[in-house]
Amino acid sequence: MTENALIERLKESIIAYDEDEARKVAEEIVTADIDPLKVIEEGISSGANVVSDKFESEEYYLPELMLAGEAMQAASEVLMGGLSNEKRDEMEARTVGTAITATVFGDIHDIGKNILSMLLTVNGFKVIDLGRGVDSMEIVQRAREYKADIIALSALMTTTMPSQKEVIDILEAMETRDEFIVMVGGGSTSLLWADEIGADGWAEIAPKAVELAKELVEKRRRG
Amino acid sequence: MKMVPPWRLNQLLERVETGPICTERDFDLRILYPKLRSLIKEYDLKFDPEEIVPSDDSLADDLWNAAWDLYLDVGTLCLSNHRRILFEESEIKEAMRFSSSEITVGTGRDARRMGKREIEDTRTPHCILSPDITCDEEIFTPYTIAYLQEPLADGVCAPILDTIEGIPIKSGSPMEVKASIAHAMMFREAARRVGKPGLNLQSVGTAESDAAQIAVSNPEWGARPSDTRFVPSIAELKIDYSLLNKMVHFHQYGGIPGALFGPLYGGYSGGAEGTALVGIAFHIMALMVNQTYWSLYFPIHFRYSYNTSRELLWVLSVTYQALSRNTPFISLSGGFTDAGPCTPMVLYEAAAHGLASTVSGANLWEIATAENKHKNRATPLEARLACEVGYGSVEERLKREDANELVKGIIAKYEGKLGNAPLGKMFQECYDLKTITPSKEYLDLYEGIKKELGDMGVPSI
Amino acid sequence: MPVPPWRITSVLRRSETGPLVTERDFDRRVLVPEIKRVVKEYDIKYDPETPVPSDDSLAKDIWNAGVDLFLSVGVFCTSTSRRMIFTDDELKEALWNYHDSIELGIGQDRKTWSPRSIEDPRRPGCLFSPVGVRCSEKNFVKLVMAYMQEPLADAVSTPILEKVDGGYTKTHSPFEQQGGSVHALNSRQAAIRVGRPGMAICLTGTALSAASQIASSNPIWGARPSDIRLVSVISELKIDHDLMNKALHFRQNGANIGTLTSPLFGAYAGIEGTTVLGIASHLQGLMVNQGNYTCYFPIHIRHLNNTSREMLWLVSLSYQALASNSRLISGSNGFAVAGPCTEMVMYEAGLHGMVSAVSGAAVLWEIASAMNKHFERTTPMEARMGCETGLSAVKSRLKRSDVNEIVKKILPKYEEKLGNAPLGKTFEECYDLETLEPSKEYQEIYGRVKAEFRDLGIDYIY
Repeated sequence: MTENALIERLKESIIAYDEDEARKVAEEIVTADIDPLKVIEEGISSGANVVSDKFESEEYYLPELMLAGEAMQAASEVLMGGLSNEKRDEMEARTVGTAITATVFGDIHDIGKNILSMLLTVNGFKVIDLGRGVDSMEIVQRAREYKADIIALSALMTTTMPSQKEVIDILEAMETRDEFIVMVGGGSTSLLWADEIGADGWAEIAPKAVELAKELVEKRRRG
Repeated sequence: MKMVPPWRLNQLLERVETGPICTERDFDLRILYPKLRSLIKEYDLKFDPEEIVPSDDSLADDLWNAAWDLYLDVGTLCLSNHRRILFEESEIKEAMRFSSSEITVGTGRDARRMGKREIEDTRTPHCILSPDITCDEEIFTPYTIAYLQEPLADGVCAPILDTIEGIPIKSGSPMEVKASIAHAMMFREAARRVGKPGLNLQSVGTAESDAAQIAVSNPEWGARPSDTRFVPSIAELKIDYSLLNKMVHFHQYGGIPGALFGPLYGGYSGGAEGTALVGIAFHIMALMVNQTYWSLYFPIHFRYSYNTSRELLWVLSVTYQALSRNTPFISLSGGFTDAGPCTPMVLYEAAAHGLASTVSGANLWEIATAENKHKNRATPLEARLACEVGYGSVEERLKREDANELVKGIIAKYEGKLGNAPLGKMFQECYDLKTITPSKEYLDLYEGIKKELGDMGVPSI
Repeated sequence: MPVPPWRITSVLRRSETGPLVTERDFDRRVLVPEIKRVVKEYDIKYDPETPVPSDDSLAKDIWNAGVDLFLSVGVFCTSTSRRMIFTDDELKEALWNYHDSIELGIGQDRKTWSPRSIEDPRRPGCLFSPVGVRCSEKNFVKLVMAYMQEPLADAVSTPILEKVDGGYTKTHSPFEQQGGSVHALNSRQAAIRVGRPGMAICLTGTALSAASQIASSNPIWGARPSDIRLVSVISELKIDHDLMNKALHFRQNGANIGTLTSPLFGAYAGIEGTTVLGIASHLQGLMVNQGNYTCYFPIHIRHLNNTSREMLWLVSLSYQALASNSRLISGSNGFAVAGPCTEMVMYEAGLHGMVSAVSGAAVLWEIASAMNKHFERTTPMEARMGCETGLSAVKSRLKRSDVNEIVKKILPKYEEKLGNAPLGKTFEECYDLETLEPSKEYQEIYGRVKAEFRDLGIDYIY
């Protein structure tokens, strides 16, 4: 099978959210010694974009998005496993940024946060998803540990929104506020709220949040 | 007579601790999702945008049968201990056989019947009026009175406090306990002020955590055994310890627990068909796991939190038809609009929701507006219109096919703006806070729209 | 108006707005250095030859060091990672306005607890407590009845249901809540059966979480405002929102709050520092937990007891410091290493009771046995020994120096066995579950040890 045909198969497997097939094709690609950068760009990322578009247009719903994510993950692991250290560094450097995502303390609603984590991954971010109901101090400490670019906080309930503010308060008190881009979102939040608590960004829905995340990271890199 | 719930409480609790272990991800993607896909295919379930309020009984029965299979197969996931709670067919049948299709809420002269409704039922819906939203601390009382004084209200749910004495309320913190008790006391006092001391006060929205919710139970100043209370579920088909704790408390203290769930259209349940199936399954879960007498059901769009689109009105219509034909369940249909108060669009949306729900066999819980996330943004006028249209449809003995045509007519007026609707105004901009009456602007708008709807053939009272 | 509550809203606000610090930094950079500083500055020194000192200036120094420590360290809220800090004036305001006495129970079963002074001739209150020992549902009512029928008991504590309806009462789970309700229901039933329906009961130990604790409050079948409700201090000088939620609920429902505090000797501090921490914990109880009184059980980190030489020194000085410098009402809660039906536990209980009573404890809160961790290994006999000996020491007008001598004579009988004490027997082995009478064997041991104490100068009434 030609190089391009293999890459195309990988792409299709991701669009078809077929984890087993994705892993299998990735193994063939490693055996065929194809440039992994090319595979990631033309196979994985391009498949991810199609999935992302289908999700936008409501052709795919959340389960398809999550399953495609798992297929991507499986393929990436196989490809990364076959890389030299040098290549791996090169790959790492191409990460758009590192994002910590969490549903804040007291809140059990994490579907929106799951969508965001997946879309950020699809769009080239390294994502550390801390789960739901995460303690504010824990969020800050993990962000520092991973040297995250972005802290993305989700809250659905009105009584859990103050925990978003609490994370920002802690960052300020620890004098590390400038090190992170803090984005907030979730059902009960709004742009007004984000401004009130001094967040760097807010988006109504996950795909917009991803665009915003890219912009904010880019802006920060430019200084 | 009260029999079930509770259904074998200790057996349920034991099952929570001993069910099969399952990760949440596996539950969502490897259990729920494939089962939904195969059931939709097996029963050939299809959403038809032209049949928002379908008149097809076999569709309703197919949905019920598919949802029955779904729930038996999938069960409920308890997030606190990662275990699935599963039931035998005979157990659910036993619980359903003995579950009450009629209950009384509130006390004394303000006591009201809340019952299961049939499709095209000639009995009026039980109406709970609720802004479903946070409010400024200082307007809590007039805001609550505005809802309590509505004659159609069989019960009221007050707005939610998000500060107390100026301090933000964080869930799980002592501020939440303090605010919840303040909420309960002010709510009781407001009901007395409007002369309805025994009315069912749905209690207490400010209390998110189990501790705060339990702390407001007090027969003198707080939530009484005659009030309705919530045992929410988590999307989709999930529960946790904190919610089960509330349930155990309500059954031991007294109280009329209702389940609360809003399957997300576009989320794990997928499109309209899957959302309806999950919605029906949630009602079975309400009886077996939440152990509740009634349900508040609000399927919503996962991005914009409304349920007045074609797909979602279909979801709730077919859900209620399926439930009416096959179960004794008492359920209230919760409205979520995209537009905010004092706009023509919110009134159209309210009318469409009230009409589609009532004719399909639902009771009414009206109505969250402006995607349910802007403080102070909901008023009794939208809620009133939704309920009035519901009442009108009963008085005019509307059939499903009549309702379908009328709903399509109303939807055409706002469909293009869904996802980008006007925010409208806040309660204090729509109501005089001293006299607690609506502004002339909104009242004129309300009367105008009501007339316009009447001219289209949409009945109201 | 009496304190507590002391300015609730202001306290709640402090847990949201106080200075931010990680828990690790609070422990290592704030608490530990400050303990070291005050122990040095106030020159506090333990003397093994004097387990019950008669030195008033030492008690005064310990009080001052405790106040200094509390004001400089504050209280750490683990839910928000914030320190809640108080000023000297605020503390004084609360102490000055602190109530004179508290009432527990209702009707004929009502009791009053008041502060006492060192070597006070007035008798202390008595609480009979199986503390936190695990218990089966089957034996719960009988065990509680055995405690409740004791004539000396002003109030009782209750054990913890290990399982209810077959499920472990795991915290935050619905089984915990069910356990809390059953615990309260059964305790009320026991009180009615012994004819003390209004007796104050310490409720509800099975309910650890705020939600379960609050759910067990019910004026008809559950915990009443006249009962004993507890809000813990997290060791050392810490609190969290779940505990503050309980406190707020108890205050708003008109219940007295007891602060539950247990400084650990051997954790963050030595014996002197732990004594100072004990005073600071009482101040936290007043300012943060909003407690009307304290249940105080300093313990050794390994032996989980407070009946050793240095722990008795700590208990004695804590109460001397409290009694001569404040009106804070505190119950001295004994923790014995040995289990029921052993001579050792009888000695431990007797010493703990007399040291506490003569040093000025307002209440004798007796006594956990077998390190409080063995299933159903507790009986009212240990509590009875602690309270009878304490009350009799008071009645005999013993001075601290007299007690010091008795302690020095008795301690060598068990000191060597602290790390290797006999487990003793279970409630079921010590008591007839039908008649609720103690076994002949245990009655004999009890009588023997009592006779020894009598020879040493304790003039028992009966």
